[in-house]
Amino acid sequence: MLSYIIRRLLLLPIILLGVTFLIFCVFSLLSPMERLATYVHDPATLKSAQSIERLIDKYHLDDPFPLSYINWINRIVHLDLGWSQAANQPVWEAICQRFPATLELVLYSIIPVILVGIWLGVISAVHHNDMLDQTIRVTAIIGWSLPTFIFGLFVLFIFYGILGWLPPGRLSAWAQDIVYTGANFKSYTRLVTIDALLNGNIPIFLDALRHLIAPIITLSYISWAFLLRITRSSMLDTLRKDYVRTARAKGVDEHTVIHLHAQKNAMIPVMTIAGMMIIRMMAGVVITETIFTYPGLGFWAASSAQQLDYGSVISFALLFATLMVLGNLIVDISYALIDPRVRLE
Amino acid sequence: MIKDNKKLLLEVKNLKTYFFTEDGIVKAVDGVDFEVYKGETLGVVGESACGKSVTAFSIMRLLDYPGKTVSGEVIFKGENLLKKTEDEMRRIRGKEIAMIFQEPMTALNPVLTVGFQISEALMMHFKISKKEALKKSIELLKKVEIPIPEQRVNEYPHQLSGGMRQRAMIAMAMSCDPTLLIADEPTTALDVTIQAQILDLMKSLLREFNGSLIMITHDLGVIAEIADSIAVMYAGKIVEYADKRTIFYTPLHPYTFGLLTSIPRLDVEMKRLNVIPGIVPNPLHFPTGCKFNPRCRFATNKCREEEPPLIKVEEGHLVRCWNIDKVVKEVKKGLLVGV
Amino acid sequence: MNRTLRKLFSNASSLVGIVLLFVFIIIAILAPVIAPPLSEDPYQIPRMSWDVNPQPPGFSMSDNIRDIYDYMGKDLKWDISICGTAEGGYDIFYGLIWGTRTAFRIGLITVAIAAFIGVFIGSISAYFGGWIDEILMRITDIFLSFPFLVAAMVLTTILGRGLDKVMIALITFGWMGYARLIRGSILSAKEETYVMAAKALGVKDIKIIWKHLLPNTIFPVMVQATMNIGSMVITAAALSFLGVGAPVGYADWGQMVSFARNWIIGSPGNAGQYWFTVFYPGIFIVLFVLAWNLIGDTLRDILDPRLRGEL
Repeated sequence: MLSYIIRRLLLLPIILLGVTFLIFCVFSLLSPMERLATYVHDPATLKSAQSIERLIDKYHLDDPFPLSYINWINRIVHLDLGWSQAANQPVWEAICQRFPATLELVLYSIIPVILVGIWLGVISAVHHNDMLDQTIRVTAIIGWSLPTFIFGLFVLFIFYGILGWLPPGRLSAWAQDIVYTGANFKSYTRLVTIDALLNGNIPIFLDALRHLIAPIITLSYISWAFLLRITRSSMLDTLRKDYVRTARAKGVDEHTVIHLHAQKNAMIPVMTIAGMMIIRMMAGVVITETIFTYPGLGFWAASSAQQLDYGSVISFALLFATLMVLGNLIVDISYALIDPRVRLE
Repeated sequence: MIKDNKKLLLEVKNLKTYFFTEDGIVKAVDGVDFEVYKGETLGVVGESACGKSVTAFSIMRLLDYPGKTVSGEVIFKGENLLKKTEDEMRRIRGKEIAMIFQEPMTALNPVLTVGFQISEALMMHFKISKKEALKKSIELLKKVEIPIPEQRVNEYPHQLSGGMRQRAMIAMAMSCDPTLLIADEPTTALDVTIQAQILDLMKSLLREFNGSLIMITHDLGVIAEIADSIAVMYAGKIVEYADKRTIFYTPLHPYTFGLLTSIPRLDVEMKRLNVIPGIVPNPLHFPTGCKFNPRCRFATNKCREEEPPLIKVEEGHLVRCWNIDKVVKEVKKGLLVGV
Repeated sequence: MNRTLRKLFSNASSLVGIVLLFVFIIIAILAPVIAPPLSEDPYQIPRMSWDVNPQPPGFSMSDNIRDIYDYMGKDLKWDISICGTAEGGYDIFYGLIWGTRTAFRIGLITVAIAAFIGVFIGSISAYFGGWIDEILMRITDIFLSFPFLVAAMVLTTILGRGLDKVMIALITFGWMGYARLIRGSILSAKEETYVMAAKALGVKDIKIIWKHLLPNTIFPVMVQATMNIGSMVITAAALSFLGVGAPVGYADWGQMVSFARNWIIGSPGNAGQYWFTVFYPGIFIVLFVLAWNLIGDTLRDILDPRLRGEL
């Protein structure tokens, strides 16, 4: 196992390098002028052709490819990602400011995804081909046929448009006043629900929760359908294995057979995919936050793309890709820890 | 064909297990009768797909979809297992009747320790604590001659060698002192040398517990080692049933005869190996009449039209064939020497 | 092959999928008949009015636009908006009908090319192994590090709007799944004796891959491809929804939904007022993707027992 982990760790910088290289290639499809625009936020500095020349030199935008790339990487490492037109602040700042909102949303979404997806997947496999299984399967198929944005619009329509229960955004105006400017509200984690609890402020906690429910439903819907499919097929496979029959031959009760003998094995491939899927939820975040005007990274990403704010777009691609690479690494390592065949070789 | 009612442990009567597949009904076991006595070993011999394993699963009621036992009786200790509820069967499995399987690598759960898998049956059937069960497991591992059992008990199946895994499976099966052990090709996946060891182990364990064994295999050598009586199966039916000596010295069914003569001999000059021509029939398209007739050199028109019943040739010897006398002639030619 | 077809038609869910697909194919083929184009470019959705507010179903073309057609000397083949108009007066019905053609184009072309690239890379990687395998798989990993939508967004932002740019983005980041899939299959098939026999006979590598390995390993890829047609269309629609996909006014389903974005909540006091802006395009997208998913799901179930070599 140790060699496996070391190998994965060694690959990490290589993959990150490849990722940044790919992004840079795409970035270079733009002209030096366009790329310059991502760094400069005050149009005044672009007045003369001379100053433009100087700036292009400063950012090494016209240099041969390798030099340009190295300089770009250097800037990134120093967190100089340019200026975001969409947010009207440096990109890195924009990311830091919006990260907690997205994190909060994703964390709350993971729970229903995993619980519902795996639980229903196991039930579906155990009741293979009878009515319960068919019903669950059809619901799941509809689930991943329903694009996030359609489902999200639908949720918004019903729960806000018609019922008025779940408003868009992150907090109501009155709550925002307290959280962002109030003196007696301390933002420890910048996750509003947790902060509200830590401050003992239940109304704000409830308000934040109210705003979170619709985005959570939307974000998790496709993911749990996918997880269900994977769990179901993994369980079906496992239930057919010889060792399940051995367990029954020993007189083990059916409940233990399914949940200990079978599930423990079936979950191994599911865990790896579940890990990746959580990371992929990040993409779903873009659409979900846009629909519910939830002020997170996704919303910023979508508006940047729409406004052709290249700097922001490139930066969030970099961010998401890095998160994904790290996430994959964690998933791979935990796989090695879960499966005793890999752990003890 | 009951010899001794007092010692009768298991009686299988007219067992029929069919598989209802999309392509048709597969009659895997089509009317099988045999008895197992206390302290004795019944060997069930036949080529692959003749229904031997399905018979074992039918007895244990471990059939997978789409298999179903459609008729027959399985009388164990006076009670019909086929009529029992699932709960009652669970109390019997592992405790009264235990089974060991062919492939120890796939038959053992890869993510649970060997110790746990052995302890599980003990904890389940005897309600003892985990610690006690583990102690007993170590003892059992010692009994099946696995070295350093205290260490092995915490290891996973993939860390053991093939032979050790099979020993562990035997330990698991014997853990609750079952009255009847069913072994489904336990040595087929092992090296010949390990095979011999495992067989010896099984024999000594059986002697010690006065247990009964149903040994399922296609290997005549294994049968010769360990069986007391033998049932030869072909295409879902028993074609010959007698004690070991009779089968090996005076077989009467052409199939048994074919099996025995196909064993290569070192003491007689053989230019070619004797084979049974043809292949096992497709269970979806069995031939009419006697199922063996396409491959049988004694086959007559009657064989092709009518399926022979099991005929009692003499006390303790049943044969399913119309042409027994022809086989007797061949045997008398001395082509067979007892193994 | 016959068995597969038979099973597809006997399964309830795949039958529904096939019927749905059939309906869509008919719509696509008969587009010029169902919704006759009113201008040179059939993919440009005609506008029923200049009004920013969406108009309900049954809306009749506004006079000032009628005048334009008169002025240009064009024949007005129809002038009632069956499903209503979206923001900016774009006729929804027209957009949906011609959008069917767009959906098929996007789905089939991107999946075909992506699958081709993926199979190519995956089979070379698996067959030759060693360094080639390592490098190609690392490259695949790098591409896989980008969440699909995010990557497509970046490319379309930089490349610009337009359906072809969308397809390039989808293909560029859509081939990796196939590569991995075929690589796994070939890695196991490679050890089979029939391959060693072919090698021993001196058959050229390319021929071995093409004639022996691929036919036996291609089916899972086909199943995956079928399921992916739906997701490609969804992603393209999502891109249009976010405003980075097809150009404004192009007959594309995602485009139609993006027109609805601001109107979903309706006006104060009448929440469901603009339901048609989302409902009609939404239904089309969902049914289209559902059709492919139902078929693909059944194909996968057919595939499973095959893999296990059962009856």
